[in-house]
Amino acid sequence: MSRPISTIRRRTILKAAAAAGVAQVAAPFVWSARAADTVKIGLDNPLTGTYAALGKNELIGAQLALDQINAKGGILDRKVELLVEDSTSADTATAVQKANKLIERDQVNFLIGNINSGLAQAIANVAFEKGVFHIVPGGHTDTVTGSQCHWNVFRVCNTTRMETNSVSKLLLDKYGKKWYFITTDYAFGHSLQEGFEASLKVAGGTEVGADAVPLQSTDFSAYLIKAQSTNPDAIILLLAGDDMINCLKQAVQFGLDKKFHIAGAQQELEVNLGLPPEALFGDWVFEWYWKQPGVPHVEEFVAEIRKRSGGHVPTARTWFGFASIWTCKLAADKAKSLEAVKLAKAMQGLVLPPEVALMPNNPFYREGDNQLMPTLFVGHSQPAPKGGDPEDLFAVTQEVKGVDAALSVGDTGCKMVWPS
Amino acid sequence: MEPKDAAPCCVPFALRVCSMSTLLLFNVFNGLIIGAFYAMMALGLSLILNLSGVINFAHGGFLAIGGYLAYTLVPFLGFWGALIVAPFLTAIVGVAIERVLIRPLYGRDPLYSLLLTFGLAFLIEDGTRFIWGAQSLPYRIPEALNSPLSTEFFFLTGYRVFMVALVALVVLGLFLILTRTRLGLRIRAGTLDLETVSVLGVNVRVLRNLNFGLGIYLAGLAGVLAVGMLGLTPTIGDSLIMPSFITIIVGGLGSLPGTLLGGLLIGVASGLTSVFYPSASEAVIYVIMAAVLIVRPRGLLGEEGRF
Repeated sequence: MSRPISTIRRRTILKAAAAAGVAQVAAPFVWSARAADTVKIGLDNPLTGTYAALGKNELIGAQLALDQINAKGGILDRKVELLVEDSTSADTATAVQKANKLIERDQVNFLIGNINSGLAQAIANVAFEKGVFHIVPGGHTDTVTGSQCHWNVFRVCNTTRMETNSVSKLLLDKYGKKWYFITTDYAFGHSLQEGFEASLKVAGGTEVGADAVPLQSTDFSAYLIKAQSTNPDAIILLLAGDDMINCLKQAVQFGLDKKFHIAGAQQELEVNLGLPPEALFGDWVFEWYWKQPGVPHVEEFVAEIRKRSGGHVPTARTWFGFASIWTCKLAADKAKSLEAVKLAKAMQGLVLPPEVALMPNNPFYREGDNQLMPTLFVGHSQPAPKGGDPEDLFAVTQEVKGVDAALSVGDTGCKMVWPS
Repeated sequence: MEPKDAAPCCVPFALRVCSMSTLLLFNVFNGLIIGAFYAMMALGLSLILNLSGVINFAHGGFLAIGGYLAYTLVPFLGFWGALIVAPFLTAIVGVAIERVLIRPLYGRDPLYSLLLTFGLAFLIEDGTRFIWGAQSLPYRIPEALNSPLSTEFFFLTGYRVFMVALVALVVLGLFLILTRTRLGLRIRAGTLDLETVSVLGVNVRVLRNLNFGLGIYLAGLAGVLAVGMLGLTPTIGDSLIMPSFITIIVGGLGSLPGTLLGGLLIGVASGLTSVFYPSASEAVIYVIMAAVLIVRPRGLLGEEGRF
């Protein structure tokens, strides 16, 4: 009998390591039964990996919208069906493959995705090639409705420039003009940093340093050491998901929150829920918040989502999923058709009704770049108030209209070319 | 937060730290801290690989289990109680899995167990997501550990120093177990010649089972320590498994001291690279692995002729 150890070779270990890389991108297929006479909406979004929690919340919102639409007769009197695929969190090839599958095999009428900016842009390009109506629910990079905009691609979440513009004045006035950036190293982070750099330039500020951090990093100590060494007025974190959690936790342990202002642009309730109370600080932008006293239909929406998510409140992601599905219905009703060109034409300037908008200032899809102009919620993270809701982890101090934060259509770089 | 001028020490400090040599020194120390963590995880992998020939792809999953069990136990046992109990419970899960799933594959081509643990990693990830949810969970560490020990050396936090001390203690304990106990002697002997050990009357099945449990205990402990610094999600082990594999390749397959050295080396290399070119801070560990494989294929302290 041979010893097992003797059969393990270095090459086997190397193969194993290579397989570990593959494991990061492998993902299960998710599918549901289909009927021929239904309207099909394909959702190509992360269900595994670093954005799984965000993807799950978008799915919960989407399913609520689906149920509401079907309860009201569906789209053009046809039942609506949601086909869900796991795009993974960061593998473009898988996300594109799933988009192709939804378009070609499942013949979806509408395509929705993605959370990851890079994946969202890649799916948008596929949808453009195939001429399928596409909504990006939560991928923020500017190009989606900017330099790589397409007539058939619409976006619910904000552009990164809208986010930075909405909060930059507050940060400059409150903290000072010497900033150090710690930025996630892909499209989302890059375009956020570009936005802040533009604001900093206009204000005559200084970028004292910047680090591009690989996605899904665990150790931020080296970057924090560098940031501290430049003595900035503010350390600006342009991260997302688990990366933001890891960085904030480590910054607190280093005591940097007591020496420097730490803030950023986009922050999410999913991140705040994963942080211990001492790491809940800083000024940020939320794209939707569940506490909006006096805004019609918000309380009903929160109550309905609580029923579906084990008592948890909806997040911006939940609303993105909800608004995306409802957008399909609104576009089809207005166009009286499922034809992509007619749908896209109907979307120009389309205003979300209050029961879908769930925010003030009548959000609408802007003609020329297909970008939703919602309200942005500027404020600061906070530990849950004593005796209050344990998920009330953000205090809104300012509501900024999307149109006031967005670049003009001309400045976005979007040159929309419609099919002849 | 306090106004910035409430921390006057940071200005002169920044002037001093601005010098590149100080920055490098800080990152060397910091890299050693992170490297110690990689080493502990890799030691568990190495133990299992050396005796049983199993490349445990699910090691990151066991790390996640350790973290989640600690999170669940904290309300009942507190941080310290969870730190002690959760790794043992993780080890028990590991022992059970070894008994039911891995044992039948001993003696077959190692690819069988590799594929099994590959699938097991997915099962554990989805299992933890099913039980605890996809949402990252907040994990608090004691206030005493949650701050730097000095203003100047701010990266030496109570938690990091505690972590390094605990890793050192665990490594010392592991070496004592391997060199001073009957179990350890049998594990070492089995690593060299399992057949002879079996002929001498040692129950090899039990030996492998206990050894697997010991390796998983280290993964569980790494998990409990990791959640003090990282977000607790089902994928928490994903980013840590690759550095662990590379640690044992660089250090030398079959060498526990090599594993320790490999962990420290890639930790420091990654930290130093962050100073000059952050985007390459992960890639650099693969470059080191490639360099070691070309120049010294058996790893830094691997035994000659063994691989």
